[in-house]
Parts: sequence; C-alpha cells; structure tokens
Amino acid sequence: MSKQDVLAELHEALIGVAGYDEVEEIARGLVAEGTDVLAAIDVATAAMDEIGEKFAAFEVFLPDLMIAGEKMTRCMAILQPYIQATSDAKASARVVLGTVSGDLHDIGKNLVATMLTVAGFEVSDLGVNVPPLEFIKAAREHKADILALSSLMTNSLPYQKEVIDLLTEMGQRERYYVIVGGGPVTPEFARQIGADGWAENAAQAAGLCRQLIESGNTPPVTTVIA
Amino acid sequence: MALDRDRLMQLLDRAHTGPVCEQFEWDTRVIPGTIAKNLKKYDLLKTCDPKNPINQDDDLADRFFQAGMDTAVEAGLLCIDTQRRIQYNREEIKAGLEAAPSEFTLGEGKEVATFKYRDVEDPTLPVWISPLSIAMTEDLFIPMVEGIARVPEVDVLEGPSVETLWGSTIRAGSPYELLVGRWQAEANHEALRRAGREGMGMFATGTSPTQYGVLGGYGLPGGFKPERDIVLVLSPVEMKTSYENLLKLSQAYNCDGTVYAGSWSMIGGYAGGPEGATVSCIACTLLMYTGYQASNGASFPFDMRYMGNCGRDALWALGTVFQALSRNTHLCVNSVLNQTAGPATEMLLYESAVGMMNLAVSGATSCTGTRSAGGKYTNYLSPLEIKFAGEVFKQCAGMTRAQANEVANKLLPLYEAQLGHPPKGQSFAECYDVETLTPTDEWQAIYDKVKDEVIKAGMPLR
Repeated sequence: MSKQDVLAELHEALIGVAGYDEVEEIARGLVAEGTDVLAAIDVATAAMDEIGEKFAAFEVFLPDLMIAGEKMTRCMAILQPYIQATSDAKASARVVLGTVSGDLHDIGKNLVATMLTVAGFEVSDLGVNVPPLEFIKAAREHKADILALSSLMTNSLPYQKEVIDLLTEMGQRERYYVIVGGGPVTPEFARQIGADGWAENAAQAAGLCRQLIESGNTPPVTTVIA
Repeated sequence: MALDRDRLMQLLDRAHTGPVCEQFEWDTRVIPGTIAKNLKKYDLLKTCDPKNPINQDDDLADRFFQAGMDTAVEAGLLCIDTQRRIQYNREEIKAGLEAAPSEFTLGEGKEVATFKYRDVEDPTLPVWISPLSIAMTEDLFIPMVEGIARVPEVDVLEGPSVETLWGSTIRAGSPYELLVGRWQAEANHEALRRAGREGMGMFATGTSPTQYGVLGGYGLPGGFKPERDIVLVLSPVEMKTSYENLLKLSQAYNCDGTVYAGSWSMIGGYAGGPEGATVSCIACTLLMYTGYQASNGASFPFDMRYMGNCGRDALWALGTVFQALSRNTHLCVNSVLNQTAGPATEMLLYESAVGMMNLAVSGATSCTGTRSAGGKYTNYLSPLEIKFAGEVFKQCAGMTRAQANEVANKLLPLYEAQLGHPPKGQSFAECYDVETLTPTDEWQAIYDKVKDEVIKAGMPLR
C-alpha cells in the first residue's frame, strides 16, 4: 500500500465506521513504516475539520463527533511522541474542562471537549458536578494551559467564579487561562467574574482557546469574547 | 399519585444491580444505535416535514410511539452515579403506564387545578404552569410571583428561581439550597396571599436543581405541602437518572407526595436529528412514568442550533411526541416551551403563539413556561408574556391540527430567521411598574398588536 493509500485509510477510519482498535492499528502501522508523522497529523486534522463541518450542517450528530474525537485522541497518543522526537513542533496546548458543582448537564461540555480535540488541543475532561478545587488540582496534574468551566444552571454559576477566586487566593491565577460557557453564562457575567474568555458555542470555544494561547499573554487577560 | 413502595425499591435496586454501562458507551453507542435501529424498523427516517410544522399524520405518530416503546425496552435508563442500566421489560412498562393517573389535582380550595388526559385536538382546557425557573433578584421575587399569580390563566406555580438568599449567593448542591427550599415555599405563599390566590399548587423546588431544595422544603412546616404540591424531578439527558433524582423520589415517597418527571432531547445531540429526538422523548417519557411513578411530565425536544423549540424542526418533533403519547396512553403529559426572545418583544409572543397552539392541539395536558429570553438573564421575565401564552394555550384547545398548521405557517416567517440571534428585550423593571404590577404602555401596545396579528392569522383568541 502506498503512503498516500495509508494516509487515505487513516482519514477514512477517523470519520467512518472503523473502530478505535482499527484506528490505533493504522496509526501504529504509519509509525512502524516510517511515514512522515506530521503528514499523518495533517490528514487526521483535515478529517476532523471535515466531520466538524458535517456536524455544523447537521449531516452528522453529537455521537458521531464524540466518536471521531475519541479516535483522534487515540491516534494522537500514538503519533505525538514521534512528533516531539522528530521535529521541533510545539506541543499542543492542554485544556482541563468540566461542568461545575451541582450541575449534571454534559451535552455542551462534551461538545466543547470534542471540538477542542478536533482542533488539536489535548483535553482532560473531568466530567460533571466537579468541585472548584478539583479543577485546580487537575490543572496542576495535567499541566494545563486553559481551564474551561461549563454550567447550565443559574445556581451553579457561582462555582465558575469560585474557581477563579480560588486560583487568585492560591497565587495561581497567572498560570491558567480560564474560559466559561453554558446556557445562562453571558459575556457580561464572564467579565464580571474575571474570566479570560467566553464563547457562544463549541466551535467558537476552540477559536477562543487558540486566540488565548497564541496571544502569549499572561493570565488574567481582558476578557476575550469569541 | 402517591408512590408505591415496591416499585420505588425495584427502581433503586435496579440502579445498583443492573448491567454496567459506561457513560461514553451509553452516549455514543447505546442511545444513537438503539434509536437508529428503531427509526429504520418503523420506517421513520427523514419523516420530519418542516413545511408542515404541526404533524397531522396519526399513523406516523403511532409508529413513533412504537419506536419509542421499543427503545425504552431495549435501552432503559442509565444511572450516572452507579453507571448501571435500569431496564424494564415491555409488560412492566405497560403496567407502569396503566398505573399512572389519567386525572389528578394540585392545589386546594378554589385554586384546585385538575390535570386531565387530553386527546389530540381535544377541547378540554389544558393546565398552564408558570413560570420556568428563571433567575430573579431577591427584591423582585415576591412581586414577580404576585404578578404571575394575578394572571387568571395561570393554574399552578413552578418558578421563578431566586439568585440570593438573605443576600448570600445560592450555590447548587450546598446548604444554601436546603435553606432556599423552605424560603421559596414561604415566599410563594406570601405572593399568592397578596394576589388573593392562596391554595394554588406549586412545584418543589424551582430554585434548586439538586435534591436539597426538595429535602429542605417539601413536607416541612412552612414548606411545600405534599397534599397539594408536586416534586419536580428533572432527568439528565439522554435517558439518564441520578442519585439526585432518586433522592427526590425517596423524599416524595416519605411525604406521600406526587412526582413530576421531566427531561428533554436535543435535536443534533445524542439522539440525532428531529426524528431521533422524537423517539428519545417518547422512550424517556415511558421510562419516567414507569420508574418514577410520575403523575405529570414528559421529555420534550429542544433544538441545539438555537436552544429553543419554536422553530420548524422542533415544533414538528414536539407535536409528534405529544400526539404519539396522547394517542397511545392515558397519561397527563406536560411539555416545556422554550422561547428565545426576551420580554417586551414581538418575537417572544410569536414564539409563544405557535408553540402553545401546537401543544394545545397535540394532546398536552399541561405546559410549563415561559422561558423568556431563553432563561439566560436575571429578571428577564414578566407576567404579560405569561398571560399571552396562557390565553393561546387555553383558547386554542379544540382547534384542528390542520388549522393550527396553517396558522403556524403564517406566523413562523415573522420570527424564525431571528431564532439564532433573538432580541434580549427588557427586564421586569424596564417593562413593568413593579409597584403596581402593570406593564408599560410600550409593552402593552406590543401585546395588543401581536394579539391582533395572531387573530388575523386565524387563531381563535378573544
């Protein structure tokens, strides 16, 4: 099989019906055959862009996106070590995300996690009902660049502020960008609690994260509205 | 309907002994796979008809019901705290539905509201529950509830929710919520007294999304009264339950109370497009009435693209869900209508008109709303849109679906292009005199104009 065929196979596996094992097998094969890993990542990224566009057009739905995102994560786990070994490419930024305390809603959070993965971020999803201190512990553990806090309930909104307040009290505010989102979260609220960013939807959240990372500014920054 | 102990214990035991299923597997394989299989089995793929947003095809509604029943049997509910599936066989679900009431009451004295099963195109008056749990500042909470209770079309009180308690921020899942359980009941009682509507039934507890508002307010002195008020149990999406839900049910059992069970399915989410969301809503409703022993409630569709259900796809799905349930059960099903525009806008009233009319002709026993401004902004709610929505809901009872579809097609072009970017409108204090509880002239004029327009479009309002 030619190099182009293998890369096409990877593309198809990522957006098609292939299972996780099959994607991992293709990725391992690419590495074993000495295929240019950066070229493989370009193909994988293009596949993710394609499925993101299909989701935007409602040609596929959230589960398809989540499955593709999980395949991408597994594929990157195999390819990533070889990027760092073979090139000076910058490691992807890390995002720790979750739905804050008292809130069990996960659709928006899962969508953002997937869109960030699709956009090339390394994502640690803490799930729902996550206490403020757990976000900070996880950010430290995963060496995060960004904390992404989701909330759909009015009474869980205060926990977004509490994460930021805790970071400040612990002298760690400048270590992480903090972005917030969810149904009742408005740009005004984001500004009011001192978040670094707010985005209206999952696709814009990925752009927001990219913008924050590329800015190189030290948090806290003036709130960026995507 | 008080909860049966054996059925409650069966639910709890199954939540701890059912087959293990991790949530990712549930969300990405079990739910979409089961729904896709049943859409195909009953020939339901691509049946959504946005040009006719109010379904009029009985056979289609019945096939959706069968697909929903099969999905309920094959999938069950996932308990997210134990990561186990709670499964019921077909006979158990049928028995659960059979045991659910076709009629029950909330409230007391002259404020008793009777919930009755309604058929499709049924002239029986539906029940209007207001408002949704939209956040209010503490100073405006009682005036808002009083203003809502003064609306004669309102039968039962659910929200709003309050942002602070004695000046302190209320945090979900914390002791503040336990305290606000009783606070909200007392504040509601005071507002109802001022409005002269003591005795109106209430939901416990709009402010508190977790179990604490129920534990702190339902069946306690000064709190919500089990003999006249109902416990609000909202299930996580998609077809999930949780300890929060199970704790609320347990408290309802301890108090001999009744249960409202609600959930939703997002169009574009785990269930897929409008057809998938329709199946999911039906399946989830059947499981909640079986497992939670609900007297009222249902799962309803929501469109992820604009976070509401007043656009064409969502209206079609909403109507089909309620027609399927109405034609195949005797349940007292309730929907939530999710508007996107804010108070003092024409768009909010047009969204309400089409959505409420759809529910009135599709067999809903009751509806909860309004979700003014999508529920996004504190104090963005007013009694006038609640009055308008209630008038539409009740006065459209008895219309045919064909008539309603014709009216919907006249009104939808007036707002559907703005669904992604709805106007925020005005806050309560901006569009109302909060002392006299009367709308501003501007807001009243908007109401009068839209009412004229919907009457001209064929809606039988007085």
